[in-house]
Amino acid sequence: MITFEAVTKRYPDGTVAVDALDLEVPAGKTVVLVGPSGCGKTTTLRMVNRLVEPTEGRILLDGQDIREQNPARLRRGIGYVIQQTGLFPHRTVEDNIATVPVLTGWPRAKARARARELISLVGLDEGLAKRYPHQLSGGQQQRVGVARALAADPPVLLMDEPFSAVDPVVRASLQDELIALQSELHKTVVLVTHDIEEAIKVGDLVALYRPHGTIAQFDTPERLLADPVDDYVAGFVGFDRGIRRLSFFGSTGLSLGTGPVLGADATVAKAQDTGEPWILVVEDGEPRGWIPAASLGGHPGDTPLGRVPAEGVGHTFKAGPDSLRAALDAAVLSPAGQAVGVDDDGRLAGVATFDQIRAAIQAADAAGARDAAEAAGAGQSDNSKKPGARAAQGAQPGAAP
Amino acid sequence: MMWSWIPDNWSLIWHLTWENFKLGVLPALYGLIIALPLGIVAARWRWFYPPVLTLVAVIYAIPSLALFVALIPAFGLTDTTVIIALTVFSLCVILPNVVEGLRSVPAPVTQAATAMGYGGLRRLVTVELPLALPVIIGGLRVGVVSSISLASLGQLIGVSSLGYLFIDGLQRDFPTEIYVGLVLTIALALVCDLTLVGIRRILTPWQPRREKRSRGAAAVPMRGAA
Repeated sequence: MITFEAVTKRYPDGTVAVDALDLEVPAGKTVVLVGPSGCGKTTTLRMVNRLVEPTEGRILLDGQDIREQNPARLRRGIGYVIQQTGLFPHRTVEDNIATVPVLTGWPRAKARARARELISLVGLDEGLAKRYPHQLSGGQQQRVGVARALAADPPVLLMDEPFSAVDPVVRASLQDELIALQSELHKTVVLVTHDIEEAIKVGDLVALYRPHGTIAQFDTPERLLADPVDDYVAGFVGFDRGIRRLSFFGSTGLSLGTGPVLGADATVAKAQDTGEPWILVVEDGEPRGWIPAASLGGHPGDTPLGRVPAEGVGHTFKAGPDSLRAALDAAVLSPAGQAVGVDDDGRLAGVATFDQIRAAIQAADAAGARDAAEAAGAGQSDNSKKPGARAAQGAQPGAAP
Repeated sequence: MMWSWIPDNWSLIWHLTWENFKLGVLPALYGLIIALPLGIVAARWRWFYPPVLTLVAVIYAIPSLALFVALIPAFGLTDTTVIIALTVFSLCVILPNVVEGLRSVPAPVTQAATAMGYGGLRRLVTVELPLALPVIIGGLRVGVVSSISLASLGQLIGVSSLGYLFIDGLQRDFPTEIYVGLVLTIALALVCDLTLVGIRRILTPWQPRREKRSRGAAAVPMRGAA
């Protein structure tokens, strides 16, 4: 756990980068610091490993003041990943990764063996071990950067805009892998980004900064989208936060219908009997395509639906694992205006109309509000550093107990 | 051109070439040894560098013969006089490259090194100097080449070098000797330069093969030949 207690960083020219910051990063969680450039998020991060020393206040790592520790030793226990990777150009991939183990006195062979493990862990090919950084793509370099930070198995990982320099496709996959790694390793991660989407995607908690080194809201991503404390936060989170928030609602509660579903061997006449404006044709349990009822008239009544030209299903969503956002998206993109839900094997689970999706959203919303109310009730006796609290004004030193 | 002169004077030519080689390489090495600590200090404490650079420029402007003459009272008409003078000139060429080399180490790299728990000295020796090496060797190349060419001036105060062939050839009105001296000076410089390029290649396997020209080039223009 990392605790900031009334931490201020003021530069000699009077600029205040971080202003009386109170923040608690729970162990094993990913906390994302997000905000406009110059808001103090990177300064906050760099105070944790003492690359920047605070002017006032103190920072505790598992209860111990970090100033009481030797900086070099402290840093060897804290992984550090930066946007420009900072890989050593003159060392091979494996030697880059082995850096901290070698610094802490591991024998080189053992350090290299560990490096090999990490190369696989971050999804790189072992054949890259002997390459130099300039021979790798941006995404590969960033993976090496993450592997290097993890090499000595530090409990804490600091990441400063780790994925900002790579293209969006690579970025998305790196984010996915960070989430997957984190679900396995449970590091205490502090990640800085200017990208609110990234914050919401990878963070267990998000601290949204105001321009001059204070936190506007420290909350779960879902709460940040559902209930921004003020216009600044709402503006930063973005205009389509309502839709994005649906990412946090599972589609388990969504009721699926089979009204317009018919097999490929069913006849045109049977399809017309359903009265549905669109018919979903299913073959071997898998959705094949949508047929508009209007086009059925041109075919003899005994024609099997499999012979009638159909429009593509668009994209489907996995009923259960996927979110309501995916379901809504599938409905929007479907020619029939209905979302096609499938199971893990791609077999049809059912279809959902906009009305059914809306009902599921309302139900999830009500459940979310109940949870939030309970959390707020439980948190009231606590101080403002706890997630869920509104840190905007409470972050003043006077507010700390 | 009298070709038979060459085999007839083989041992003289070989001797002069060897002397010239020493007068070229030793000052450059001494220059490097002095430039390294000075450059490290100048790269770290920025205020230190401008005055040093000015001083270096002033020294570099001293005509080499004048510097020889100034050193004669202390060291006589010896190799030492020439080596000291050429060391000073080499230093002037190499020092800026040491500073530039260290400054060319990308900030994220030094920052990452610090953040991973490197101490200052360890970072300097295992990260910064290796990365500065291509630029430092670039300076060394210019230092060696200019020392080799300036060494012939040593002959004016009686220190053997290929300069002997120029002076003797001129006095006897015997162009062959001058041509041989010229060709050997250039060949010597070329061989030393290529050797340094080879050394750099071996020491920096991590560098992209299609290196940028500026990497190996010197920060200070080459001093004119004698």
